[in-house]
Amino acid sequence: MTPPDLGAILFSGAFGLVVIGILGIVMSTHLVRIVLSIVLLETGANLLLMLSGYRAGAAAPIIIDGVIPAAMVDPVPQALVLTAIVIGVAVQAFMMTLVLRLRSVYGTLDIRELRTCLERDIAQEAGIGLPTSDNLPETPGVGPVRTQGGDA
Amino acid sequence: MSPVLMFVLPLLAAFLLPVVARGSPRAGRLFGPLVLSLNCVIGILAWATVSEQTQVIALGGFAPPFGIAFYIDRLALLFAIAVSLGVLLLWPDAGEDEAAQRENTLTLVLAASATGLALSGDLFNIYVFYELTAVATYGLAAGRRNGAAYAAALRYVVISSFGAALMLIGIALVYMATGTLNLAQLAQLAPGMLDGPLGLAAFVFILIGAGVKAELFPVNTWVPEVYAAASKRVAGLLAGIISKLALLIIVRLLVLVFQQAEALQILLLLGVLGVVTGELAAWTARDLTRMLAYSSIGQLGVMFIAFSIPGPAGLYAGLAVALHHMVVKPALFLLAERQGGALERLAGSAQASPVACALFVLLVLSLIGIPPLPGFWAKFLVVTAALAQPGTDYLLAVVVILLAAVVEASYLFRVIVQLYRRVPAARVGGGHDSATLTISAALGLVLIAVVLWLAPIGDGLRGIAAQAADRAGYIQAVLPDGASS
Amino acid sequence: MRSYVSLLFVAGLAFLLFVITGQLEFGAAPMRVGQAINQTSPAEVGAANIVTSVVLGYRALDTLGELAILFTAATAGGLMLGRPRAGAAHDPDAGFILRTASDLLFPLLLVVGLFIIVHGHLTPGGGFQGGVILAAAFFLPLLARPGTHFNHAVFSVFEGLAGAAFIVIGLLGLVYGGEFLAPLLGQGEMGSLLSAGTLPLLYIAVGLKVGTELAGLMAHIAAYEAVDS
Repeated sequence: MTPPDLGAILFSGAFGLVVIGILGIVMSTHLVRIVLSIVLLETGANLLLMLSGYRAGAAAPIIIDGVIPAAMVDPVPQALVLTAIVIGVAVQAFMMTLVLRLRSVYGTLDIRELRTCLERDIAQEAGIGLPTSDNLPETPGVGPVRTQGGDA
Repeated sequence: MSPVLMFVLPLLAAFLLPVVARGSPRAGRLFGPLVLSLNCVIGILAWATVSEQTQVIALGGFAPPFGIAFYIDRLALLFAIAVSLGVLLLWPDAGEDEAAQRENTLTLVLAASATGLALSGDLFNIYVFYELTAVATYGLAAGRRNGAAYAAALRYVVISSFGAALMLIGIALVYMATGTLNLAQLAQLAPGMLDGPLGLAAFVFILIGAGVKAELFPVNTWVPEVYAAASKRVAGLLAGIISKLALLIIVRLLVLVFQQAEALQILLLLGVLGVVTGELAAWTARDLTRMLAYSSIGQLGVMFIAFSIPGPAGLYAGLAVALHHMVVKPALFLLAERQGGALERLAGSAQASPVACALFVLLVLSLIGIPPLPGFWAKFLVVTAALAQPGTDYLLAVVVILLAAVVEASYLFRVIVQLYRRVPAARVGGGHDSATLTISAALGLVLIAVVLWLAPIGDGLRGIAAQAADRAGYIQAVLPDGASS
Repeated sequence: MRSYVSLLFVAGLAFLLFVITGQLEFGAAPMRVGQAINQTSPAEVGAANIVTSVVLGYRALDTLGELAILFTAATAGGLMLGRPRAGAAHDPDAGFILRTASDLLFPLLLVVGLFIIVHGHLTPGGGFQGGVILAAAFFLPLLARPGTHFNHAVFSVFEGLAGAAFIVIGLLGLVYGGEFLAPLLGQGEMGSLLSAGTLPLLYIAVGLKVGTELAGLMAHIAAYEAVDS
């Protein structure tokens, strides 16, 4: 293959990962799938950043046995991606601890159910009725009765 | 004393806090506030030198654009001092157990990273500090560790990670076009290389990324839940300080790198949408925290409109609104800590703690924009700057701002009426604790002080804005020999 | 309804990205900064691995920030997870294969990790990569014998001191080298282990911090119980 095709393939791959990741975040209902989609999204972004440093026909920027290559690729994007990957890993690790805690508190990882639980809990703490409920009293200071959901 | 210490010291303190706290929990508790006070002192000492001439610090001794440069003008230093002061005032004093010590660590990291954001002059460095700020806020947002906190924080993390990945894509596009990350060199190269569709796309990506924390429409859906589920001090930190830092980096990029008219138009549109959605949602809110959260979104929309006005006038107006909000919103959140919750529950608060309610009224009046309070003056600046611009879009923005002020007044007065409604003495709740009251009172006094010294403060801000808008000056300061080839 | 709007948004974004792809050239990086770094780095910093000279020299502040992000995420994760379960000390051991393999691999992984950390300025690798391998070395005993007591105190002290060491070396650069994170200690002979001044020291601090941090986080996850407020 000639280099121009390779570039198109690589860029499509990077952007494809990004689009698949965003699609996953937007359309998934399971929390772990959303986390994995974020991983895909970040991978695509990192790949794009890596590709920005390539110069055709150049060697890796490492000096072996005192021999400095004539042309070297850009070392800066490699350093940037190193940083970006570690940042991504850190955030994903934290996300997983949140997922674990949510599973143990609410017993579910479906985001629709979690959304309901979240609004119910916030409304209960504030002492108002749920915005969409039509069968709960609106007495101030008295929250709605818990009908389901795991208690810690 | 190099201002870079304002970034280094809180970070060092954060790293050492677990070690110190294991030795002596009491020392661990005091360590953070001590370091932040030291930071404020360093910042104030640096103010005198920076007032003469902007300072450029080449990290590691590597001259920009090869190394990372810190650019310290009055605007950057002002925000750096504001961060240290703000975090000190809103310090979560939660005790000496391990969880509290971890929260203190996170808050110190937040102070360090926000300071770094204010001072940095390199695009990827800004991204790294932005992510650092983000991770610290993730931990703080989930700090209360109940189910709602976890869920709200997770939603915030997902939206923020999405934004961060987009920001990285934008940075990649900029790097692909120009080959550099230094803001000054980008400013030099931008007119030729970044004014086409690639540059605009990069701007949109970076805007969405930074906009998550700046509560930009449409990536601000995380705001109400997180503010409700986190402690009010954390909400004050997020709304008051962190959102302004995110706004600051967008402004820096607009002034230096993305000069296209389309960029300003996008900002104006999103600002108007933010004002409309924020104020309308606040009007329908039935509990105080949510109301304050949506009002925050609306106010940030006003700031976006202000910053979309080209030139120093827009910067001056936006800066005024931003600083005003930075003082008022944390104070409101602090007061809402005791009174948060359904509006009906607020009845009788005036009997329980009259001082707090008087303060609340003062802050609310300033927020709406009643003269002679600073809020009126800030909004007036925005309106006049917008009216001075040709074209109907700014006129539309002015109409929106004025209508929003009316809506704000209506829902905030509703709250005040509730506060002062009398209830039988048996149902009167407790008052505020003295720490909260003192801090809110201090912030209220700041407002009054601004009213008294309006002219000199206004001139000072105008000078700061003019210096920040000086693109050629920035390039000259960072790259004195004019690097780019 | 909501999913249609989202699909539309994603379709629009995909279209935007496709349009951008047409504007991008592959293999012709402008290298405005990269070229100069490639040329001056051997003389200025002296590391055989030029990417390391970027990571720890030209852009050392980014590395400090990255280190801080990992630290913050681990701290926040620890905050979420809280104290260990009451029954954590009595978790059953894993099977024979995992136990034996873990005993065999633990020292090997430690050596490999340390090797990669220490040679970061000569070959591809460095503190983060080696640190993760060090953490993996600690994952194995955690998986093989979940009931073993993990000394969180030692690890967190180690982690804090390693991170502080990075900043202290940077501050020494401020005092002796003129700017924060300026490289010190001369350059030595390129290609040998003792070259590139303080860069290997920085990477060692990074590697130790990352290793202890991730190991601590994994230990937390393996044996958690949170105290809900």
